[in-house]
Parts: sequence; structure tokens; C-alpha cells
Amino acid sequence: MNTLTLIKREIKLSIRNFGLILSYSSFFLLSLLIFTFGVGPDLKQLNTVYIPIIWVIMLFAIILVSDNFLLSDFQDGSLKELQFLGYSEESIIISKTVVMYLVLITPHFFLIPIFSIFYNMNFNDLFQLSLDIFIGMPSLILISLIASLLTIQIKRNKVLQFIIIMPFYVPIIVFTTSNYDGILYSSFELNKILILIGFFLITLPITLLLGKLILNEINK
Amino acid sequence: MIFKFANPNKFLRISKFLFPYFNVFFLISFVYGLYLSFFNSPPDYLQGETVRIMYIHVPCAWFSLMLYSSIAICGFFSLVFRHTLADIAIRAIAPLGACFTIATLITGSIWGKPTWGTWWVWDARLTSELVLLFLYVGIISLSNAFENKSKGDKYAAMLSLVGIINLPIIKWSVDWWNTLHQPASISKFSSPSIDTVMLIPLFVMTLSFLFLSLNIIIIRIKSEILQRKIDILNSSKIN
Repeated sequence: MNTLTLIKREIKLSIRNFGLILSYSSFFLLSLLIFTFGVGPDLKQLNTVYIPIIWVIMLFAIILVSDNFLLSDFQDGSLKELQFLGYSEESIIISKTVVMYLVLITPHFFLIPIFSIFYNMNFNDLFQLSLDIFIGMPSLILISLIASLLTIQIKRNKVLQFIIIMPFYVPIIVFTTSNYDGILYSSFELNKILILIGFFLITLPITLLLGKLILNEINK
Repeated sequence: MIFKFANPNKFLRISKFLFPYFNVFFLISFVYGLYLSFFNSPPDYLQGETVRIMYIHVPCAWFSLMLYSSIAICGFFSLVFRHTLADIAIRAIAPLGACFTIATLITGSIWGKPTWGTWWVWDARLTSELVLLFLYVGIISLSNAFENKSKGDKYAAMLSLVGIINLPIIKWSVDWWNTLHQPASISKFSSPSIDTVMLIPLFVMTLSFLFLSLNIIIIRIKSEILQRKIDILNSSKIN
């Protein structure tokens, strides 16, 4: 059974559940506004904090939404059924990651340029941010999916998902939000991208293995 | 060999034998260590008397890392060999590790105020130690979040294994990044940059912390084994 079939299934489900994408984008934009009100209208001050703010909001949004991508499948028994049909646990996780990326992260490439006007962001910063999101987000999605899988059977205390996940986000956040010097293709920026790719290459096998173990444990 | 001793009943027997010895060793090393730290080691030429916090801070930091490593090893044994005692050990060790991490952060802050002039800096070593605390909190919360204890055990084991990524970051953060926190003074590969007069009390205190940890872990594992036995008896009574 191939992963592409699963990806198609996930995309169909996401399109049917378009409200989720809409609420995710609204959450992202509203949180940006709230932060802006909190920091104040001073553009100089906003200019120093908007990139970390964007990343933190994206993290929260991803964690909140990742649950929806798994919970319905878990509750209606689809997760078990997919495994029964012969789809490997790895392909289930990969398909969910790919679709989460396509459905949730792609809109950012349109939303962030619009918001860059409000924050007086220059083109280089905008390009760097988009590149970092493009490369850094898959790792974050994989980690958030694992946290959702770990806590899917817990009815109360959903905050636990955040507690579990936050420590693993620290290295990625440190590298993605560090030093926006506006020098495009500087050696630092290239190193940073290589580090983010490295993070992804480490995260992918670990999360796939862990996901397989958790899915087997859930379906026991 | 290790599986022979991993039997809970055997563990109870061995620990019953070892526990009093560990207690005595702890008391002797702790009292002797405190004596050496307070009366037999000189103040630092730069930091003065505040350097004595080191005798608590450094062992706490070592044990916060060491206990996490032991949790991860238990996690490995739990997932690969499905040993119940490994699951129980994770539950027993995690709160103790969290306490050591909190102690490290508090004593570090107390030491930092007179040395660096601030209670806290967002330095790589300090931040990664704080992250370690959250990893401990995650493991403790996850293992207690499920009604079915064995499920919580399995998930906690998985989380502990993944969290081990943080340990090299903490250990080598002071070498990788240019931090305010000083690099390691005691290394396996080179001679220590700390004087023997200070090194001996540090090792005696570390020894006392080791016996203290072993004692607490034994007590916690013992009570968890007994609790599980009671749970089994209660469930069989209900059925």
C-alpha cells in the first residue's frame, strides 16, 4: 500500500474540514494582532520581536491543530483500520505530516508577506523567514504529531501535550529566530539552513520509530 | 546477568540487604563531606566563601544528568525487553531527578548572584538545565496521566529515550557556545583544573549524594512494587 493513497485521503478529509484551516489561519492572525497590541505600536520595537512572535504563534497553532488531524481518526477507528488494511505506521505519520505541511504551512507563504507590510519588514528578512519556515516546519510538525499521539488517549489534561513538546522545540526555535542580520546568503544563514536540515534528518527517523511504537501501543 | 536481578522479588531481597549499608555510607560521607567543605577547604581567591556552594551545586548538576541517563537506560530496557522493574524504576527516579535539577537551578542562582551579579542569565548551560527540568516534568506527568499504569509507563519510557538528545547539549553547551557559565573543571580526558583541596570534598559530597539517591530510589521502587501488588490484589477481589 503506498503513502500517496494516504496523502490523497488526508487531503480530501482536510478539504472537507476546511473550517479547521480557516480557524488555524484566523488564530495565527489574531494572535499576531494581540502580540502587537501587547508590545505597542512602535515599529522599531516591533521590528526586533516580530520574528520570534511569528514562530511562537505558529508553534502554538500547530500543537493545537495537530490533535484534530489524529483525534477523529482515533475516535472513529480509522487509525486501527488503516493499520489493519496494511498501511505501515510510518506511511500514516508521513502522510499526516505532508498534509499538515501543505494545508497549514503553505498559507503562511501568503499571509506573512501581507503582514510584513504591517511590521515594516524588509525583503531579505521576509525571504529568510520564509526559507526558515519552509525548512524548519517539517521537524516541528513531526514533533507535534508525536506529542498528539502520546496524549491522544488522555481525556483530561490536554496541557500535557504542550509540556511534553516544548523542550524539543527549543533547539529549533533557537536557531530559527537567531540573528536576522538582513544579509542574504551570509555564511551564518547558510549554516543555519544546514543545521535546520540536520534537525529534520535527526527528527524524521526518531519520530517515525516512535510513532510506530505509539501507534502499536494505542491499538493494543 | 542483569535480567537475573531485574526480578521485582529479587530486587526487594537485595535492596533489603543493601539499604542499611547505603544509609550508613550516606551518613558518614555526608557528615565528612560537610566538614571538609566548610572547615577543610579554602575560600576561592576570587569568589571568596561563596565557592562553597559548589559542593552542593556540582553534585546536584551531575546527578540531574546521571539520573536522566539512568531513566533513558530503563526506558530502553522497558521497551526492548519489557521489564516491569524498568518501568517502576522510571517512576521512581524521575521525581528525584527533577528535585536534583531544581536544586541545581536554585543553588546556581544563589551562586550566580554574587559571582555574575544576577540571579539568572539566559546562558546555554542554564537554559538547557531548565529544559531538562521540563523533560522530567513531562515524564512524570505522562506516566501519571493514564488510568492504565502500564500504558503510562510505556509512554514515559518512549519520552525518556527521545529526551536523551538534550543531555549532550547540556554537557557540551559550555564548550560549543561562548557562555557565561564556566567550562567543566573536571574532565575524564585531562587533569582537573581544580585544586585537590577542593576536589576531595567535592568527590566526598558526590559520594554522599550517590548513596542518598540510591536510598531514595530503593524506597520509591519498593513502595511502587508493593503498591502494584496491592492493586493486583484489589482488582482480583473485585473480579
